[in-house]
Amino acid sequence: MTLFGLCKTMAELTADMFIVPVLRFQRNIFPPFSYPAGDLADWFASEGGIVTLAWIYAVNIAFAVGMTNLILVIHLERKIAARIQDRRGPMLSFRAFRELGEDLAGEAPTWRFKGNYSGIGIIQNMADGIKAITKELIIPNKADKFLFSMGPIIFISSSVFLLVLFPLSDRFAASAAPAGLMVIMAAFSIAPIGVLTSGWASNNKYSMIGGMRSAAQLMSYEIPLLLSMAGVFLLAGSYNPVDIVEQQREATWLFGLPMWNFIPQFIGFIVFMICILAEVERVPFDLPEAEAELVEGWTTEYSGIRYMLFLAAEYIRGFAGAAVATILFLGGWAGPWPVPPEIWFLLKVYLIIIFWIFIRWSVPRIRTDQILELGWKKLLPLSLINILIVIFMVEIYPYFADIVSLPEVF
Amino acid sequence: MAEMWISMGPQHPMTHGLWTLKVKVDGETIVDADPELGYLHRSVEKMGERRKYFMNTTLTDRLCYASSTTWTHSYVLAVEELMEVEVPTRAQYIRTIMLELQRLASHLMWAGAYMPDLGHITGALYFWRDRELFLNLLELPSGSRLLYNFMRIGGVKRDLPDGFEEKTERILKLFEQRLDEYADLFENSKIFRMRTEDVGKFTGSQAMNMGITGPNLRGCGVKHDLRVEDTYEIYEEIDWDVCTREAGPGYSDCFSRYMIRIDEMKESVKIIRDCFKKMPKGPTMSARVPIRASGEAFRRTEDSRGEALMYLVGDGSDRPYRWKIKSPMFTTISACPHYLKGYKLADIPAIMGSIDICIGETDK
Repeated sequence: MTLFGLCKTMAELTADMFIVPVLRFQRNIFPPFSYPAGDLADWFASEGGIVTLAWIYAVNIAFAVGMTNLILVIHLERKIAARIQDRRGPMLSFRAFRELGEDLAGEAPTWRFKGNYSGIGIIQNMADGIKAITKELIIPNKADKFLFSMGPIIFISSSVFLLVLFPLSDRFAASAAPAGLMVIMAAFSIAPIGVLTSGWASNNKYSMIGGMRSAAQLMSYEIPLLLSMAGVFLLAGSYNPVDIVEQQREATWLFGLPMWNFIPQFIGFIVFMICILAEVERVPFDLPEAEAELVEGWTTEYSGIRYMLFLAAEYIRGFAGAAVATILFLGGWAGPWPVPPEIWFLLKVYLIIIFWIFIRWSVPRIRTDQILELGWKKLLPLSLINILIVIFMVEIYPYFADIVSLPEVF
Repeated sequence: MAEMWISMGPQHPMTHGLWTLKVKVDGETIVDADPELGYLHRSVEKMGERRKYFMNTTLTDRLCYASSTTWTHSYVLAVEELMEVEVPTRAQYIRTIMLELQRLASHLMWAGAYMPDLGHITGALYFWRDRELFLNLLELPSGSRLLYNFMRIGGVKRDLPDGFEEKTERILKLFEQRLDEYADLFENSKIFRMRTEDVGKFTGSQAMNMGITGPNLRGCGVKHDLRVEDTYEIYEEIDWDVCTREAGPGYSDCFSRYMIRIDEMKESVKIIRDCFKKMPKGPTMSARVPIRASGEAFRRTEDSRGEALMYLVGDGSDRPYRWKIKSPMFTTISACPHYLKGYKLADIPAIMGSIDICIGETDK
């Protein structure tokens, strides 16, 4: 059973048992309002209403799964960073709550935690969220107030949109667009517009330079990124994530080992991993918010929950980027049987994220002109070479293999 | 993009203190720069003229929090010359050990502050973890963690405590081991070298013209160290070398200035070991220290950041008539337009970090 089928069953049940009776009951007791309520009730009883309801359920489930993963990713980043730096990381949040309780009550609270505090640091994320919500939302005096508010909306909504776009397996998918990966990449590229908007609207030179850097960076990495993806599309003959993963599952190598795309297209894999790191703006490519020279870059003037949502959106983009890398090059949800495919998918995603965390905490940031040089002079030719290799595999070799009867390798 | 002025500071992550760097940028390229100092001026020299000679060591401690003992030592040397006081040999050895421990702590402080400038947060925590070891060592004889007030006119506050040598040796061994480990993370790292090599270049002769001294000058390949040239304490009896580095023929960049400090830390370890080997027994304080002085005295010492110059005039009373401090960083920061022009905006923290700014001593 797929996620959408499950949601449709749920939608039918809720429509039959709850929504339609309530709306009809309402129509009966408020006759003057009967027309819209009556139409709505009929609509929910029809096929269109149930499918819409099913979509809403599916999107919400995908969103909830994504948000749960977001909390896990943030916690993982904090813990691994702390271990790399010879620290322990967040682990003491309950103590803060307890002390707050003691302060408020004027005495020791009745509940206490036994033993050490390890393993509960994950609620530090909730504490940070609560803190951010209680902060004032400052808008600078001479800022462009409309664009200043629009910037975060563009950035955050386009990032959250990513969560429902990629499938966790062929049955767990909220959207099944035939050009799925193109839609994902399009959603990825909206965010720099938000960055540019909020950088410009802040009326702050640091913010503006951060926004400009974001635009310059987009130019340099987006082209090799898409070209390195083109190899995968050629091989699978489709933009659909499900088809791409199926192609990787069927391709085999020596001794029947699976030949996921990172083996034949190793160059493309390397180019893609570098570019997606720039796409999700992590160290060493987090130039738009280089805190050493630009204070906080384009987020300098933002405060409170807006700033916190910027951070959260960056992690969402990181998670989505790792998911795209998994689908394209690491075989997606393909894996041996006893483990469910969704778990395989998440395992691979988390492997990439942990790799990124290690990179983030062990290298410095590179310079704007260096990333432009890297993008245009090195990654672009490499991604073209990768496409040539794939064309050789897909078109040229089979053509000659037919003529001179060579063994079928690819 | 049109040219525009950006004001970095007085509160900015790049400044490492309280000063303003105004830069004129064309896009991302620096066209002009204009440093503004004086936010942290505490009029130390004038305050010192109202206090007795021996009281001023508390002020000199606060000149630079990262390298307080070297500044106090510089002042104490000048006062000793003014008063013509002989310092016992053991006190001289203890002073040298403290100075080199302080130099290690100061360079580690610098290295830790330099890494976030390049976007490398982990480096800061690593180097500051090691600095803590040396602060613990400095705390053992002096009793405080940051501002020691250990150098006294005519000697040192007290003798080294029992077991100090063993503890130092243990920490030095650990430290050398860790420096080798860090090499892979920093100087052998490709991205670290991309950020630091060929950035912020100036030649040795330029540096001398601009008044740049200390590790920044030795990073240009100029063999100039006041511990040798105008020797003090027992540096000439110790077995050590002046390190030099250069990025190319006669010029330095951020990477050579990073490496020269790493080399100097290794050299300081050598000096401390040799001091322990040669240290004699004896008193740690001169028997007779006058409180009044007349005449003038001038001493220069090799601070962690360059040449620290002290000029004192006494008028026969127990307070200095005039006291002048020349800080190495004041001239180095003032020369920054010369070595900032032409580089990118992102290079500003890399360059200004690499010269080891300390605003406390700059603004006095």
